[in-house]
Amino acid sequence: MISVVDLSKRFGRTTAVDHLSFDVMPGIVTGFLGPNGSGKSTTMRCMLELDRPDTGGASFGGRAYHQLSSPLHEVGALLDAGYVHPGRSGRNHLRWLAASNRLPRARVDEVLELVGLTSVGSRRVKTYSLGMRQRLGLAGVLLGDPQIVVLDEPANGLDPEGIRWIRDVLVHLASQGRTVLVSSHLLSEMAQMANDLVVIGQGRLIEQCSVAEFVERHADRWVRVKSPAVDALVHAATSQGAEASMVDATTAELRGITTVEVGELAARNGIVLHELSPQTGSLEDAFLQATASAQEFAARPVVSP
Amino acid sequence: MISTINSEWIKLRTVRMNLVLFIIAVAFPVIVSVLVASLGKIEDLRASDVVGVVTGSSVVTALLLGVVGAVSISAEFAYGTIRPTFAATPRRTRVLLAKAVVIAVFAAVAEALVVVFCFLVSSGIASSRGATVSLDGEPEARAALIGIVIFAVIVSLLGFGIGMIIRNTPAAVAVLILWPLVVENIIFLILNAAGVDHPQKFLPYISGFGLGDPNKATSDSLSRVNGGLYFAGVTLTVALIGALITSRRDA
Repeated sequence: MISVVDLSKRFGRTTAVDHLSFDVMPGIVTGFLGPNGSGKSTTMRCMLELDRPDTGGASFGGRAYHQLSSPLHEVGALLDAGYVHPGRSGRNHLRWLAASNRLPRARVDEVLELVGLTSVGSRRVKTYSLGMRQRLGLAGVLLGDPQIVVLDEPANGLDPEGIRWIRDVLVHLASQGRTVLVSSHLLSEMAQMANDLVVIGQGRLIEQCSVAEFVERHADRWVRVKSPAVDALVHAATSQGAEASMVDATTAELRGITTVEVGELAARNGIVLHELSPQTGSLEDAFLQATASAQEFAARPVVSP
Repeated sequence: MISTINSEWIKLRTVRMNLVLFIIAVAFPVIVSVLVASLGKIEDLRASDVVGVVTGSSVVTALLLGVVGAVSISAEFAYGTIRPTFAATPRRTRVLLAKAVVIAVFAAVAEALVVVFCFLVSSGIASSRGATVSLDGEPEARAALIGIVIFAVIVSLLGFGIGMIIRNTPAAVAVLILWPLVVENIIFLILNAAGVDHPQKFLPYISGFGLGDPNKATSDSLSRVNGGLYFAGVTLTVALIGALITSRRDA
């Protein structure tokens, strides 16, 4: 389990992370979600004590990062797949990592096999594609067979197949009882990988809940109706407090009213329906709505009364 | 600590640029020594002359080993590998100490190889041309051969220290290479303006180079041991400042 408690980090006058607290539970994949620049990477760097937080900190199974005697055995972290020397081979990159925590050399070949890079292990990293670098990064994470895994935007720049591969690996790791924290700025990506979400905006916690709850709470919902007498139906619906917008001459979208209510309204008024369907906004819309409110709040100008 | 040293040693030897630098560092003094021994006048090929050529030309080796030292840390910042390094070993002083050990040992071994090889080859060539080159009864020449190895170790650590402070590879390498030309002159001007007697005595790099000078020190310079200690002290100060910055700052 990971606990982040009251974590703050300022860079000069900019507050990147603002008294952030959340817990990450074992056995599930937890998505760390926020728009670009919301403080996800800074939070992760502070968790690993690479950046020094101004307040608070993180603990892994109750211990601060520097108290872990052999960090790679306990926490596998991938902050950026680009953190490799381009002139060094993938295998040699893993070898120095392994040596630093007394991991056997054979383990390097094992993880190369695991991520499917065995055949290119001796090639210099500068010849690797982005996807191969992400795989190499993941090999580094798996090196010490850690109980806790922390990944910053591991799907960034990957094709759909690569994203699915990462997802399968993370779900597999979580199913073994490991604690998995993975960040992304795309909710659609998170919805495929994560069970739980920690959503932040401007360095502050917006919400911690399951993906389903988050979508439920923030997704836009409306009713789509198609009828030759759509005007009459819209009139009846708006008089009950619904909001309506016309899509075309026979189609309207109604908000603030359920499909059941619209159906009953149509029956009562003898209106023929060609379509009556509930609609839900995309995950991305839900995410933008949730984080936009945080940004709007922060950016609201001070107006004197 | 052993595991950290092992890790840093793997890093040092798995980058091709270090190998290229090592080859140039070895090749240059070998070529110069062979040329001088083959083409120089016989009467200019006494033991102290040969040692002077060997130590003088292997200053280039020392500077290139200093570049290896500087790049060993600046490249970590450039490519971001310092982050996985500190994540794998959160005790930063341990990482920096391990790097210093690896660099110093690498420099000592490389410079010793160069010095021994160059001396044997050039004295062999000179002997075959009829000159007698012997270190018997030449304590200063013998001390210079050992001294230049110590000098190389200090320069490699000076490079490491500069790299920790500056973090940018081209800038760190430039400061190291230009140190003898620029930094020393600035120190000279400051000391001179301050009214210090024999200001050239207190130029760290020049004093340090006295370690490899086959001639006895004059009144204008510090003795071999004192000059070496002075240069080592300046280097230690630079390295400690660099270590302090690196362990305090965000990685």
